[in-house]
Amino acid sequence: MDTVFIGEHLWPGKLGQFFVVLSFAAALLATLSYYFETIKDKPDGSWLKIARSAYFVNLMAIIGIGTCLFYIIYNHLFEYHYAWAHSSKSLPVYYIISCFWEGQEGSFWLWTFWQSVLGFVLVRKAKSWEPPVMAVFMLSQTFLASMLLGVEILGIRVGSSPFILLRDAVQAPIFARPEYLSMVADGNGLNPLLQNYWMVIHPPTLFLGFASMIVPFAYALAGLWQKRYTEWISMALPWALFAVMVLGAGIIMGSFWAYEALNFGGFWAWDPVENASLIPWITLIAAVHVLLAYKHSGQAYFTATFLTLLSFLLVLYASFLTRSGILGETSVHSFTDLGMFWQLLVFIGVFTLIALVLVIKRWKYMPFSAKEEETYSREFWLFVGAIVLGLACLQVLATTSIPVFNKIFGTEIAPPTQVIAHYNKWQLPFALVVVFISGFSQFLKYKKTDIRSFYVQLGRAALIAAVLTAISGYIAGIYTNSMFMLLMFSSIFSVVCNAGILYNAIMGKWKLAGSALAHIGFGFLLIGAMVAAATNKIISVNNSGIGFGQEFAKDNNPRENIILYLNEPIKMDKYTVTYLGDSVSGTNTLYRVNYQVIDLKTAKVTENFDLYPNAQQNVKMRQIIASPDTRHYLWKDIYTHVSSVPLKEEATHEPHEGHSEEEDFGKPSIRAVKLGDTIAVRDAKIVVKAIKKGVHVNNMPLSPTDVSVALSLEVLTKTKIQVVEPVFVIKDGNVYDFGKTIEDLGLKLRFTNIKPQDNSLELTVLQRPPAEKKWIVMKAIVFPFINFFWGGTILMTIGFFLAILRRRKELKTA
Amino acid sequence: MKKSAILLIGIIAVAIGVIISTYADSSTYGSFNDAKDSAAELHVVGRLDLAKDMVYNPKKDANYFSFYVKDNKGTACKIVFTGTKPQDFERSEQIVLTGKMVGEEFHASKILMKCPSKYNKDQVEVKSTLQQS
Repeated sequence: MDTVFIGEHLWPGKLGQFFVVLSFAAALLATLSYYFETIKDKPDGSWLKIARSAYFVNLMAIIGIGTCLFYIIYNHLFEYHYAWAHSSKSLPVYYIISCFWEGQEGSFWLWTFWQSVLGFVLVRKAKSWEPPVMAVFMLSQTFLASMLLGVEILGIRVGSSPFILLRDAVQAPIFARPEYLSMVADGNGLNPLLQNYWMVIHPPTLFLGFASMIVPFAYALAGLWQKRYTEWISMALPWALFAVMVLGAGIIMGSFWAYEALNFGGFWAWDPVENASLIPWITLIAAVHVLLAYKHSGQAYFTATFLTLLSFLLVLYASFLTRSGILGETSVHSFTDLGMFWQLLVFIGVFTLIALVLVIKRWKYMPFSAKEEETYSREFWLFVGAIVLGLACLQVLATTSIPVFNKIFGTEIAPPTQVIAHYNKWQLPFALVVVFISGFSQFLKYKKTDIRSFYVQLGRAALIAAVLTAISGYIAGIYTNSMFMLLMFSSIFSVVCNAGILYNAIMGKWKLAGSALAHIGFGFLLIGAMVAAATNKIISVNNSGIGFGQEFAKDNNPRENIILYLNEPIKMDKYTVTYLGDSVSGTNTLYRVNYQVIDLKTAKVTENFDLYPNAQQNVKMRQIIASPDTRHYLWKDIYTHVSSVPLKEEATHEPHEGHSEEEDFGKPSIRAVKLGDTIAVRDAKIVVKAIKKGVHVNNMPLSPTDVSVALSLEVLTKTKIQVVEPVFVIKDGNVYDFGKTIEDLGLKLRFTNIKPQDNSLELTVLQRPPAEKKWIVMKAIVFPFINFFWGGTILMTIGFFLAILRRRKELKTA
Repeated sequence: MKKSAILLIGIIAVAIGVIISTYADSSTYGSFNDAKDSAAELHVVGRLDLAKDMVYNPKKDANYFSFYVKDNKGTACKIVFTGTKPQDFERSEQIVLTGKMVGEEFHASKILMKCPSKYNKDQVEVKSTLQQS
């Protein structure tokens, strides 16, 4: 039975699906055409013509997919599953672009989009390299396009299309109704954590990094394939540096997002998803170094090729880890399984196989160097450094892959319970060695170095570094830990060595500036990461919990969260911290937390600032999503987030300011008073001061026979005296009264009667029941030296950029 | 001996060290009964037992949260966590706890929740009066 559904917009999806299929077909055609162009004995350009056209069709189709998807999300066409699952009507326009990478399909699109943009550069600039490089390149495009297909081929579902209709993706009885669409109120919305400006730029940067990893890989394969064994290295070098720069920036943006917007209290957690992007980055950095070693000395050819090939394969492995659902229980933020497990494996398998076959076939032609590297040569230590980086990667890879081992061997091994300690214990020594090598190898020359001058320079740098280490170790308070001190020394040593090079660069040898700057940045990064991770201090430690058993104290479990009541200051470390109330901004509730440093001797406030940690309250889902607020100093950060707050819906029966219906108040109490009497109410005293006759009442014209009397009352609290004057009126024989409310006491006073017989006045006192004291539970952490970490990464990125310029220039002049 | 040979030995030694360390530091998935027999921390996978009390009273102690979990073998156990209660905790489908037994209580150092997050739960919410499918 065919139901005609009302209100659906089917054409954007059909058009989009057409583009999906077109992009796949075009990529496949381009791959084959480039392949035939490459293997032809006498290329006449006929295949090349087809290949290029197919490439452009692929590019256009990819842009078409993006446009259709954007149209669907922008117009809230919830008949499409993607729009329904990842967006909502209330989503601001600038976050619509974030919807693209919340789902797997969108992030595949992003990847393939970047690849096709990079392909544009290759088609225009690669010249004789174009056919073989683009053949590899378009094969990867073909695989990525297949991830979006969402069609069944021979009973196997290939890919997952972003243009699937909601009624096809989800089974529910309402979809039998023709007018079902009018009942779908809104989309599920974008994950609030992604509604952050860093999340607008972090994924595109990361995926540009991933996408650019294919270029050095394709050059390496093309070099082996076309027997241009050594030529490809110079071609691949700027691309490898580009990939390293962009991927590095992308990873750090993610780290910064985690630090600024998530409340896990740090900048790196060794989460499998983080590791997955870190591993290929490190192997490619290692590759860049051995590529240089080979370029300048003819040594380490195989290692250079191997690491270049491996880096891209690890990118594929990373996407397998994060997208196949295999991480399951070990990571909080992997994608859900879309049933692409095998497809992703085939992607890895095909590329691994091609790389393997080519390496084996060309093994005997590879330019292996017969002679050993000199110990005192730069190439030798570049090589050693790369090996250490490779081992560091192996360690991260081994632990991250535990779920994969479980799947293969049917075991049930759990990841280490102390994950961070486990990684740090290995990565700290690795980092120490690598950064030390990056320091002294600056004094080595390619091929042969004068040993005497090497040791003189090394000694001088080591001496300066030792002094600086002593000082900064003392400042940072890490001098009791020898491992930290060693890493500190190595990092400073590297900074000192490279600062010398940078000085020379500024004095004229400008081409050295890139590497020097990148190494200095790396040194700073390590210092920042180590000090911030090792000495960050939770200042909200709270041992005031009462009697839930002594077992806790024994465990030495730090009580990291503290409760703050409204307007009740608490001493935390050197800060006096007060919760001053909250305000609402959009979906966020901002909690105003005031920090003061009060000088003990003079009792003067030397520092005073407010932080606004916020929480997105989602009443429907009964959850909060907390984001921290951070006070940045040059030498440290104070990081604060709420970890528990009263849920808003529970708070609705609390009185609201500004509306004072009588039912809010408790039972009225009627008091007979005389002038001069004092009566006590909760939190205040009321003194009956005077009677004022003939007062004027707004909007109530009174005749001489009418009575209007005000009662002057003084309300005394601990801190202040307020005077209020409720009014009692008899107009035309009818009785009225105008009460006065004191909001901050929740007190309403009415002058309700005058009783001449016993000369008393009737005062009706109403008071709201005591409001529950407002509270928040929060956590505050001081991160010292964290700016070294961010600053270091910025320097490193600039360094990579300068290095790209240098290597490109070399290509042009060569 | 050639330098490359020394290097190779070094690489192999470190690589073996890495693998041994990964294995040595790795933990196991187990039940509460396994946890009773083990002094080391381990991972227990289970489901929240909503029939029993969940205690989080920040006014009394902002860092004490207790609840009950039934592990995959059906054994229920009281869990104590030094920290705050995740606000959508009741909705979690599956919980992975890391920790160890202290007496009759399981003291968790880490809780990982698998929520049927609204972002991947395929359940259409329908306007007002209609029954949710």
